[in-house]
Amino acid sequence: MTGVKHLRILLLVAIASPLLAFLPGLQDPGEWAKDVEKACTSQRYGLRLAAARKVAAGGAAAVPAIREFMQKNGPNAVTAALVEAIADQTTLEAVVLELLIAWAKNPDFYWRAQAMRGIAQRAPKLPGFAKELRAIFASYHDDPAWLMRTFARFGSMVLDGVATVPGSPETDPRAVVKLATLLLAQGTVPPLQPLFEALADERTFLGDPWGQRNAQAAHQALKSWLGDAHPLPEGGSFADKQTAIDRLLAAASAKSGQQLRTPAPALDPPGPFAGGIEILSCKSGDLFVRWTEDGVVHAGLDAALSVRLPADAWARLSQQRAQQHLEGNLGVVICDAMRLSWVEPKVHVKVAPASLPAATANWLLDLSQALDIAGQPRLAAALSTGLKQFAAP
Amino acid sequence: MPETAANLGEDADELLSLPPAMLRVPVLLGLLCCLAGDPTKISFAVLAGFTYTEGMTLPKEVTKIDETVVAIRGFMQREVPGSGPVNQFLLVNEACGCNGTPKLNEIVFCTLPDGVTMDPLPGVVTVTGKIYVGEEKEDGAVIMLYQMDADTVK
Repeated sequence: MTGVKHLRILLLVAIASPLLAFLPGLQDPGEWAKDVEKACTSQRYGLRLAAARKVAAGGAAAVPAIREFMQKNGPNAVTAALVEAIADQTTLEAVVLELLIAWAKNPDFYWRAQAMRGIAQRAPKLPGFAKELRAIFASYHDDPAWLMRTFARFGSMVLDGVATVPGSPETDPRAVVKLATLLLAQGTVPPLQPLFEALADERTFLGDPWGQRNAQAAHQALKSWLGDAHPLPEGGSFADKQTAIDRLLAAASAKSGQQLRTPAPALDPPGPFAGGIEILSCKSGDLFVRWTEDGVVHAGLDAALSVRLPADAWARLSQQRAQQHLEGNLGVVICDAMRLSWVEPKVHVKVAPASLPAATANWLLDLSQALDIAGQPRLAAALSTGLKQFAAP
Repeated sequence: MPETAANLGEDADELLSLPPAMLRVPVLLGLLCCLAGDPTKISFAVLAGFTYTEGMTLPKEVTKIDETVVAIRGFMQREVPGSGPVNQFLLVNEACGCNGTPKLNEIVFCTLPDGVTMDPLPGVVTVTGKIYVGEEKEDGAVIMLYQMDADTVK
């Protein structure tokens, strides 16, 4: 009889063990270390994603292994995939929130914006932490990195249920669209006009069609929000872009009650552009500068600012620029990157931090000085500050 | 309709009305065109135009391009950070890694021909080659949705 009982227990253990393995939180602590390692170091992108999702689903149980991994390899060895997977989770465990806060507050952590998103999305469900979270969001409303400030502003808005966007007026077109899409996905209908303006955006920067990307993000958000009211049947296509915008506009106006205008196409400023530089930085924000052959320098993704440099200064800068010998990719890019592109001689390179040759860094400093003298001190400062981390030691 | 003529699409009816001797040359030329095939331009707006969940039935817009020759514009990205030439790379819609992790339907996993390597190019590139659409699993996890045998990168 006892033997049968033991057999039953063994049978139960045999059946239950594999099932328990599917419950992430009940995993052996040692196993979490392996999963974190895989999420951060696997050579296969898809495997990193899958492991990241598993670790994130583990919630508090996996946090010690993440901390241990950071202790051993440094915080920036943690991948964006892992931070995003944790941000995506709905778990409200204190240790997970603490980890997200620590990441968001670390100015040197590459994926602080993604961590901020995780905090923002949890904020409405954490009334007990409202005061602390409110203060955290407020500190980053005007962060130089557009994603960071967008998630911080979103956090404040959903935490307090306010419709007014906090912080300084937004100048980055990507941030305007991102905030609207976040609010829409969260169930708050923001003013929809910015999303329609984005649909007609055809602007580019040094060949990068960022306007179209903004349009895709706007359309995706509108499509999800409109649901069955979306005017395009599954698998169908509109006759042309204008028809698509008109029909979407009608559907969105009807659903939201907002008076929406047909957007005017947003096009690039007159060029042609002879070159430019792009700095993408999670830490200090992005910078976009391009110029025409005759020395008109445009700043901003949308070229909101333009200045003509004096002919003699521009001639000197052009001559110096022609002497820069750059090719291939410089350094190992993980997060922050600089792109330099110009014609005659043709140059198109991507540069990692601490990898920009001194001669080119000095040329960019000269450009910054010329902008300062031409009455653009803020742009000059942004350029000299932005390039600091890229100059080779 | 014979299979060869069907492949010629809109020109087929006109070609079939021609005498056989005259038909031969255009049909052969047409066949060559079909074999070489102008790549179909496809964008990330289509590839990533749906919310992907594991095991879902993929939309017709993407399944219909399976095993066809396509041209896609995007940014080259290494699968792991590093330096030096690569034989495989990710084609993604966003240059800036700061903006987050691309989802599986926002990535085309490209492989260059055997023995061919190149440094990832900065800026927007157009990659041409045969695309394969469908979930690819490894260790029980979906690791790819779009794979491409990349012939050219410009």
